[in-house]
Formats: sequence, C-alpha cells, structure tokens
Amino acid sequence: MKAQVKEDWFRKDRLPHIFCVGCGNGTIINCVVDAVFHLDLDIDKTVFLSGIGCSSRAPGYMASDSLHTTHGRALAFATGVKLGRPEFDVIVYTGDGDLAAIGGNHFIHACRRNIDMTVVCMNNQIYGMTGGQGSPCTPIGKLSTTTPYGAQETPFDLCELAVGAGANYVARWTSYHVKELRNAVITGIETPGLSFIEVLCQCPTSFGNKNKIGEGVEHASYLRKNAMLLQKARRMEEEGKKIPPETFIVGEYVKRSRPVMGGKT
Amino acid sequence: MMKQLTINETLCKGCNLCTIICPYRIFQIGTTPNRRGIYIPKLYKPGRCTNCRLQDLYGRQLCGTCALICPDQAISWETVSQYKKPEIMIEY
Repeated sequence: MKAQVKEDWFRKDRLPHIFCVGCGNGTIINCVVDAVFHLDLDIDKTVFLSGIGCSSRAPGYMASDSLHTTHGRALAFATGVKLGRPEFDVIVYTGDGDLAAIGGNHFIHACRRNIDMTVVCMNNQIYGMTGGQGSPCTPIGKLSTTTPYGAQETPFDLCELAVGAGANYVARWTSYHVKELRNAVITGIETPGLSFIEVLCQCPTSFGNKNKIGEGVEHASYLRKNAMLLQKARRMEEEGKKIPPETFIVGEYVKRSRPVMGGKT
Repeated sequence: MMKQLTINETLCKGCNLCTIICPYRIFQIGTTPNRRGIYIPKLYKPGRCTNCRLQDLYGRQLCGTCALICPDQAISWETVSQYKKPEIMIEY
C-alpha cells in the first residue's frame, strides 16, 4: 500500500504523542516521515525498529510494521529482519544511550558488516526517559543526575566511530536543521549499506533545564548557534586554529560504496 | 483553489518552535490560552506564506520548514476555495 498523503504514515489514533513540550524527537520523526513519503516507499514493505528510551517510542506512532525491542539490541534485531527479508526497507530509530552505551558492540559490528539499513540516532546527550542520568555522549562539564559536579569523561564522537567502523554514509545534523536532515535521510535510504545519521536534539526537561540552557526554543537556538559545518572545522584545523568548546560539527562525513551485506538484488 | 496555513489545536502543545524557524515570522507567540490551557501561536498575516502563494504554480512543496520542525505534526496546509465577496441579500 502506498501513502497518498504524509499523514498516512502516522497512526492517528495514537497521536498526540507522549514526548515533552519542545522535545526534538517529534521533529526527527517528522523529517524521517517526510523523507520516506518523498521516496514513495511501500508502507507494507518498510520496517521501523527501536530499542528502549525516549527516542524508541517513535515506531509506535508509525502505520507500518514496527518492532520495539530490548535495550540496545535494535541493530541486532534489524540485522535479522534485513537478512530474513532483503526486499524490506529497514529504518532504525535509536538514542544515544541505546546505541552508544549498551548497544555499542552491535553498532560497531553492524557498521563493519555494512548491512543495508538506515540508522537515525536521536542524540539528546542524556538518558532522558529514566530521569536524566549521564550518557556516553554527555559533554565534559555538563550536569546530569549522575554527574552533579559536571561530567568528567570525554564523550563519544559517534560519527567518527561509524566512519572508522566502515559505514557507507555518515552524517550529523541537529533538530534545528530540518531541511538538511530530511535530505540526509533521503540520501541515507537511497545509499546501499549502513547509513548512519546522528541528530543532536533538544531535551528541555532533563538536559536543558539542568544546564541552564532553557526550554525547547532556547535549546533549539543553542543548537543552531553552536553548530559548525564540517568543511569549516577541517579548514580551521588545517590553519591551526582551535575549535571553540561546546561546538557541534555538522555535515556529511562520508559517502562511499564498500561491499554491502543483505542488499536488495 | 488555494492553500491556507492551519494549526491543529488538538495536537499543538505550545512549544513555540515554529516561531523561531519561519523566515517570514508568520507565527507569533500566543497570548490567550485555549480550552485546554495551551498558548497556541497566532498567525500574523498568513497570506505571506510562500507555500500558500506558490504551491499550485510550481506544483511542488515549497519551504515547509514549519511543518517539518513541528514536533506534534500540528501544522498543515488545507485547501480552501477562493475568497468570494459575500452577496448581500436585500429583502423587500
């Protein structure tokens, strides 16, 4: 069944969704739905998967088949879906705690095997659902429930990790850059092999309020103000300039054609 | 036939994200709460919206950042018929 209008991709009986006021996850769902509607995918031949967390509530609002799996194992389930039914389009919604902390090994090996799917990581830099504990992506010096004097550990750079592990398409955007994010998801679905799109999104309830950033609007403006294009960051590195702290590097990291596992034939 | 911007009042949660992204600043922060106690953004001169004016001419979606950033899928364009001058009935 093909969608006639964009709203056909949503389960209207489940809306409005449970995300907090100003949460960026809804924006990311919107962009992904706009991308799959633009590509005119078949609703019966698309599968959305997720693990556990705020971000992983997203497949529950999709009209297509969806799997809400165990914590961190969304990519393992997605591997099974893709290898069992290679004609399906597999899209994985996942969060930073889900993907980087408990599912880290699954992520590295899914990138290494280069399985044909699209992974959208909603990185809100905190464990939002369980009460704001520090995640592997919490920046240095930021407060959370488990880091009351500021996080001391170096955060994960998920995009560099995916490039090193061998994903075919890697990009990072924020939830303010909606057009670029939508185009990145379209490119990711069209590219064979694992496409990894990291989206920095606002979490006004657990991260923004605790770190004096503010509610949804202020947090989105903060994401916009501190974003820096990858080309500019590389140019600054060549010139020997120092990239200011609290800067998010956004852009398309890599697009290549390594051998793909489980692709459409 | 033309398009008109609408905000679905049952879906909107009043996060005001649309007020920072619209290039024409059509969405303004609301001042009066609705029936559910939520401050829905006001539309200031919505006739300036690019998508409303030019979608039929170009045959594709233009701009549309407000509908993309809305976390609650509340912003959409509905098709309305052209404005007609009301005919005044004169009763004798």
